This record gives sequence, structure tokens and C-alpha cells, in this order.
Amino acid sequence: MDDLQELLEDFLVEAFEMIEEMDQDLVELENNPDDLELLNKIFRVAHTIKGSGSFLNFDKLTHLTHHMEAVLDKARKGELKITPEIMDVILESVDAMKAILEYIRDHGDDSSPDVDIEPIVKKLDAIVNGNQQSQTQKEEKKEAPKTVGGINLDEINPDNLDELDLSSLSPEELDQVLEKLVEDMNTSPEEEGIEEVEIVEENKEDTGEKKEENKEDKKEENKEIEKKESETLPSKKTSTEVTKEEQKKDLQKKIISTKEQTIRVDVKRLDQLMNLIGELVLAKNRLIKIYNDVEERYEGEKFLEELNQVVSSISIVTTDLQIAVMKTRMLPIGKVFNKFPRLVRDLSRELGKKVRLIIEGEDTELDKSIIEEIGDPLVHMIRNAIDHGIEPPEERRKLGKPEEGTIWLRAYNEGNMIVIEIKDDGRGMDPEKLKKKAIEKGIITPQEAENMSDKEAFMLIFKPGFSTADKVTSVSGRGVGMDVVKTNIEKLNGIIEVDSVPGKGTTFKLKIPLTLAIIQALLVASQEDLFAVPLSNVIETVRIVEEDIYTIEGRSVLKLRDEVLPLVNMADIFNIEKVLMPEKYLYVVILGLGATKIGLIVDRFIGQEEIVIKSLGEFLKGLPGIAGATIRGDGRVTLIVDVASLMKLAKETHNKKLVTDSLKEVKKKKEKPSDYTVMIVDDSPMDRKIMRQALEELGVNIIEAKDGLEALNLLKQNDIDAMLIDIEMPRMDGYTLAQEIRKYNKYRKLPLIAVTSRATKADRVRGVEVGMNEYITKPYTKEYLQNVIRRNLKL
Amino acid sequence: MGGLNDIIKKQQEALNKPEEDKIEEVEQLVGFIVGEEEFAVPILSIQEIIKPIEWTRVPFVPDYVLGVFNLRGNVLPLIDLRKKFHAPSAEIDENTRFIVMKIKGEDVAFVIDKLTSAIRIPKKNILPPPETYSNEDDIIAGVGRLDDGRIITILKVDNLIKREEIVPERD
Repeated sequence: MDDLQELLEDFLVEAFEMIEEMDQDLVELENNPDDLELLNKIFRVAHTIKGSGSFLNFDKLTHLTHHMEAVLDKARKGELKITPEIMDVILESVDAMKAILEYIRDHGDDSSPDVDIEPIVKKLDAIVNGNQQSQTQKEEKKEAPKTVGGINLDEINPDNLDELDLSSLSPEELDQVLEKLVEDMNTSPEEEGIEEVEIVEENKEDTGEKKEENKEDKKEENKEIEKKESETLPSKKTSTEVTKEEQKKDLQKKIISTKEQTIRVDVKRLDQLMNLIGELVLAKNRLIKIYNDVEERYEGEKFLEELNQVVSSISIVTTDLQIAVMKTRMLPIGKVFNKFPRLVRDLSRELGKKVRLIIEGEDTELDKSIIEEIGDPLVHMIRNAIDHGIEPPEERRKLGKPEEGTIWLRAYNEGNMIVIEIKDDGRGMDPEKLKKKAIEKGIITPQEAENMSDKEAFMLIFKPGFSTADKVTSVSGRGVGMDVVKTNIEKLNGIIEVDSVPGKGTTFKLKIPLTLAIIQALLVASQEDLFAVPLSNVIETVRIVEEDIYTIEGRSVLKLRDEVLPLVNMADIFNIEKVLMPEKYLYVVILGLGATKIGLIVDRFIGQEEIVIKSLGEFLKGLPGIAGATIRGDGRVTLIVDVASLMKLAKETHNKKLVTDSLKEVKKKKEKPSDYTVMIVDDSPMDRKIMRQALEELGVNIIEAKDGLEALNLLKQNDIDAMLIDIEMPRMDGYTLAQEIRKYNKYRKLPLIAVTSRATKADRVRGVEVGMNEYITKPYTKEYLQNVIRRNLKL
Repeated sequence: MGGLNDIIKKQQEALNKPEEDKIEEVEQLVGFIVGEEEFAVPILSIQEIIKPIEWTRVPFVPDYVLGVFNLRGNVLPLIDLRKKFHAPSAEIDENTRFIVMKIKGEDVAFVIDKLTSAIRIPKKNILPPPETYSNEDDIIAGVGRLDDGRIITILKVDNLIKREEIVPERD
């Protein structure tokens, strides 16, 4: 029972693969109807499916394939020319085969009540009936099919020997087949037999020389034919026996070699492997971090060199291992591309257009999970290109373009991304027309349209409810297509780019990350909190000043070259308390997802890092804007941004809050001098008193510390806005104190003012080095000190 | 032969009985303090107890969810029981501990002020929560009276946190 199940699974996998290939071959065949090699290949596939199908008792499938095979057989013998009409019928039967196979996959039998094969069988028969003789011949065979291990014995004759799928037979079955063969040859002076031999001969004359790979088979056939013609029965028998032996050996060789090349592995196992590698990557990151710490501490020690070697080699191996495992999950994108020649052919016939499809880069590899998701969006885009993009032949002729339109489907790697390009040489898109339509449909306001660049206008087609086709066809224009594309690409953290020139054509670029488990991320800090942003969605990072921010219709936007981008403060999206004073420069991450772009203000860029995505667990997963977490080299957890969800949140925040207001929030809290606190750090009570008096006049609050250590503790417990620091103090001096303070992100901008009698240039330089903002030399006037404080507190 | 069998039977009964009684009648708990009160949870629900380590804040969660932290490569949520029980918040000190418990198959850590002791308490000394107790969310399993007169509140670990209270339903 299990064996049968396994056999069935193998059959299905094989059959689906073959049919996919057949689809492509058939379309190609239509373009080169005389390509006998191709015809033979297609015939063999049909024959194999029929054979295996009948072995597994799929009568309906066998019945259909049998009739299809009959048509192909005739074409192969040159008795039938493949016209587009005939091809329609063949393709129709391939579709029916697919439907039946899908039913078998889901239900285990081929009853598939939804698929009615009789009309197709009739059509196939009608084609074959063009030649009566061959039809009756087939008919006879059908009446008493005697099968051995999936092969209909009555069908076997010397010329289709190499098309038989003998690999699935047991030795006994193989013997039976071969016996039948010998029997056939012994009873050769029958009309039928001779006829077939003659056909084989013709066949050989046509293609024998062209075919390199089949040379040996042909030789064998040749031998057989010669023997037959010489009509000496006994010698013929021996020759067949020789062939039999060779055939057997060949077969065994084939079986062994295919067994060695591939194994099927459950995807779950690969996932598990990937998880383990993820852990390893984290450990590696951690090791590197520790090594860096150790290196600082034990500079120049001998063991460091050794440690360095171990760390680097582990890091290299881990990276290689990760790539290797990632590659086991990769499939060529050709798997998806393969179905498009057929799609293009069907659509262009249906719409009366002439379209040529050029596929490039089908070997480019992508993660399996992504391959599964990418098919639908591509179908939509190609449909659109044919329906909306490519003009009808007459129109193209008038425009001076070749009648046949061209669609390019191209895949290539770009860094950690794969780019899929869909390009047509059709009528292109007119940005003004798109804008007009969008305004009519209420998707944008006329003002918005005015501020829109051409590129932004092209993006309008991805808005829900937008459709440019004047008439709705069955192919496209139902106003859902492009929206679906956008959703699907966003699911994969991909980006869509559109470029179009009216009259020349349109290019779509889909940029998709290669894998989803281990990703490159940009680490950013919003206030004190770190976040990892998938690098695949980071278009660029820019540094701006507040003056670059514009307000349009009550919303903050950033003008970046020819684009206007919505601008949002990350801290506002995640409701992060603002503790940092805004600086002169603002740091912005330009995020792209699907067709949308936004500018995200952060407080600091940390850098790029490879991160492993971990779930936040049952209780926390699905938090808005958060995709998961990663563990960094220092063992701390950093949240990973879910770009799609973040975009939604950003839109809400964008409508609610101006960035310029948000930036003032920290400042706003403190207006009067009494809102500020200044810390005085000096070991001399006298000096502290002088400073206190000066500051009290200003009206600010004062906290005093006797030395650096005390100051550091007080700083952590209080909200301090500026510090006056003496240099020479017990326990911890002023330089060290400043150095310690600057280690905290939070205090990066805290004004530190050195107040000292050490006035040499070297002292001042040292002060700047450790992070002092100002340097006041004793003695000083009260007014001078007040001015410095005022300036630093921006009072 | 019958006599021997009887003896074996009796022996087995004698062996089994006291243990059954123990399992039947005694609860093993771990006691800890949160705010002013002493609580306890069944010892078997505890995975481990660790000293406080750094955690990462998480947006859009109730205030009692402090964030997440890394426990040997796993990301665990951290719940502040003081905030959860509406007790005034306190600084982390040398007595503070994270108790990691399994809730619905997931490890979750809880911040507590101080561990007290492992407790063996006869089941008959555990009473259902009095009416006057605010037992919102069915958090309290019962109230135990210890031999030394201490009163402890026994918590229902599975009800301590609920996903629907933490993550707002997405539209």
C-alpha cells in the first residue's frame, strides 16, 4: 500500500514536470512545425504519461493521452501538419490532462467529474480521421490492451522501443516486454509490420543525420531494418537478442546514474537545517563581538593571533554553510517562467494580437517559498502587457512598428535581490491620462496630482479600484489585477518600479529578496531604541536639515531630487518617548515597499548587519510594525521592522502628526529657566559656591557633585540639561568623567562645559578629545558663565 | 502460594499508599513577593529562575509587558507582576528575579521582587479565593494558610497573561 502511494507520488511529480515541459515544447513546436526532434520529444512524454497512467489504472487519463498520442504520432510520421487549430486541440487536451492529474493529486483517483474528456477525444479523433487507415489501426489496439507494468504490449514495436518507460519495470516484466518484441518480429510478414518499418526508415532519412545523441539508437534500428529487408528470419532473431541485451544494460546504467544525481528531501528538513544555521550565525556574530572586546583588552598578546584565526575560519565556514543550505532551497525561476510561452500564445490568439515572448535568465535561482508566491503576480503583469500594452497589428503597422509586439521577461541578480523585469514595446502609459483617471475615480485630489512626478503617476495603477482599460475584457481590466500584484510583492518584502514612455512601451521591475530567513538589515536607532530594517526595503539613507522638510496640506514631506516623499518620525510611529534633543542634521531612511516609498526619520544609523529572524512567540507575535526579533552580537534583542505593516502605521501617523511638531516635542517641555537643571561638578566648595551664585541668578535648578563618580551617579538619577565640570578632582577627574558620559547614546548631546585653571593649548585639545563642548578658564566673570550656560541651554 | 501473593499484595499497597496520599494531599509551591503581598505558583510550572538581565522594549503593548530578552538564544517576553497587580513600581535590586514559566507551551518570564521559599502545603489548607478578593481574569487559584501563620495567594499560571490583552486585534 505504501509502495503504491510512493509510486503514485513519484508519478505525479514526474507527470507535472513533464507536462510543464510539454506545454513549452508545444508552443515552440507551433513556431517550428517541422522540428521532428521536438515532435518526438513531445510524443515520448505523452507516451510515458499514458504508460504510467495505465499502470496505475488511471483509465480516464490513459484514454485521453492515448488519443492525443495518436495525433502526435501522425504528425511525427509526417502525415499531419500541425496547424494552430490542431494545436488548440492538443493544448486543450494537455489542460485536461493537467486537470485530471490535479484531481489525482487531491483525491487519489482520476474520476475527476469536472473534467469531461469526451469532446476533446472526439476532436482528437476527428484530426486523426483525416487518415482512415491509421485510425482503425489505433481502434483495434484499443480494444484489447494487454499491459505489463504500465506498458501496453500491443503498442510495442521496434520503432517506439526507445520511447518506452522501461525504467519502472521489474526484470520479469522487462522480459515479458522483450519477448513480445521478439514475437512481433517473428511474425513480421504482416502488412502492418512492414508499414511501420517503412515509416521508421523515412523518419531516419529525415533526421538521422541531424541527431547526434540518438545515433546509437538509430544504428540499432538500422540494423533491424536491414535484417528485415533481407528477410532472413533466423539471423534477425539473433540480432534482436543482441539488442535486447544492450537495451537491458543501457537501462541499468540509466537507472543507476539517475539515482545518484538527486534525492528528494522533505522541505521541512531543509527548514530545520536552516533554523540550525540561523543559530550558528547568531553564535558567530556573538563570537566576533567577543573577539573584538578581547582584542581591545589584551592588545598585542600572542594568543590573540590564534583566536583571530579560529574566529575567522568559523565565520567563513558558517557563511559558506549558510549559502550552501540556502542554495538547497533554491529553484530556478524558469519553473515559473515556463508557463508563460503558453499563456502568451493563448492570450495573443484570443485577443487577435501578435506577440513574441523573449525569456532571459531563467536559470536565476530563488528560494522555494518565493517561487511559489511569484507566479500569480507575473501572470497578471504579462496579461496586462498583452491586453493593455501591445497594440493590435493594424495599429502597430500604422505606427511604423513591427506587427509583432515583443514582451521581454528577464531575471537577474542584483546584490541580495533578484530583479524580474517585464518589458513590452507597446503603447506605454501616459502619466497625465493616469492622473486624470485617478482624479475621476477619487483616488487622488487635483492638488495631489499637480505635485506628482511621472514615476509617481505610474504607481497609480497599483491603487485598488484603478483600471485604465476603456473596455473590460476577460483578460484584464477588472480593476483588481495590479492591486493583487502589489499585495503579493509586498508579502515578499519586494519593491516594484515602473517606467514607461508613451508610444514606446512599459518596463516593470520587481525586486525581491533572495531568501526570507536570514537577511541583511540596516540597524537604526530611534531615540534609545534600536531597530533592524530589512535592507531589501531600504532604497537609500539621507541626511537632511529641518529646512528640507515641507508641509503640504498639513502633512510633512521631504523633497528628494524629483520626488516628494511622505516623512514620518519613527519615534512617533512606535510612540517612543523622546529623550534626545534634535540635532542640526536629521537622518532619514528612504523605505520602499511594493509601489510605495516613505521617508523615516531616525536618530542614528548604526550600520549594516546580517540578522536571523526569530519569532516573538505566541504572546507577542503580530504586533503592528514588528516582524520579529533578532539576537545581536552582544546578546541583546533587537526588534525587526515589518516594513509592510510599518508603512500602514506610518500612513496613519503621517496624517496625524507633523514632523516639525514632533521634533519640537523635546524642546517644548522646557520653556522657562526653571525647567532646566545644571549640574556643578567641583571638589572645591568655594568654586561650587561661585558657580551656584551665578546660576541662581539665571533661575535654573542646580545639583552639585564633589567628584566625577558622584556626578556620574547623580546624572543617571536626574534629568540634567548641562554640566559644569572641573578638571582636577579626586576619584575621577573631569576628562574621564566626560569620556564616560559620552559612552551613553542618551548623553551624546548633553552640553559639557569644562571650568578649569588649566589653560594650555594641550589641555584644551584634550578637553575637545574627550567630548567637552566648551572650555572656560578660571578666573571668569559671572556674566561670561551665564552667557555660556544660556547659549548651551538655548535659553 | 496464596499466602505469598497476599503478602506481596499487602507490601505493594503499603508502598503505594503513602505516596499516593502525598501526591493527593500536598501541593509543592514556590513563594515570592510582589509589592506587599506573598504569592506562590506550583513548583512544576517553573522552568527556571534567573537574575535580571537587560531587556528590549516592545511597542504597542500594555505597560506590564516590559519587553523581550534573550535567554540562551530564545526570545522571551518579560512581564512585570507589580504593574500587572497594580502595585507601585520599584527599582530592580539584588533581590529581584525573573521567574521563567511555561504558559500554554510558551516560556514567559515574570519580574518578582524577592523569592521567599519552597512551600509544601497540605491541600486542605488551601481555600478558594474569598469573595472580597479582586480576582479579575481568574488569576487566583486559591489562598493558602501556612503553619507559621503566613497567608499566600496561589496563582493560576495559565491565566497570568492572555494574548488578546497584549496584542490588539489587527484590522
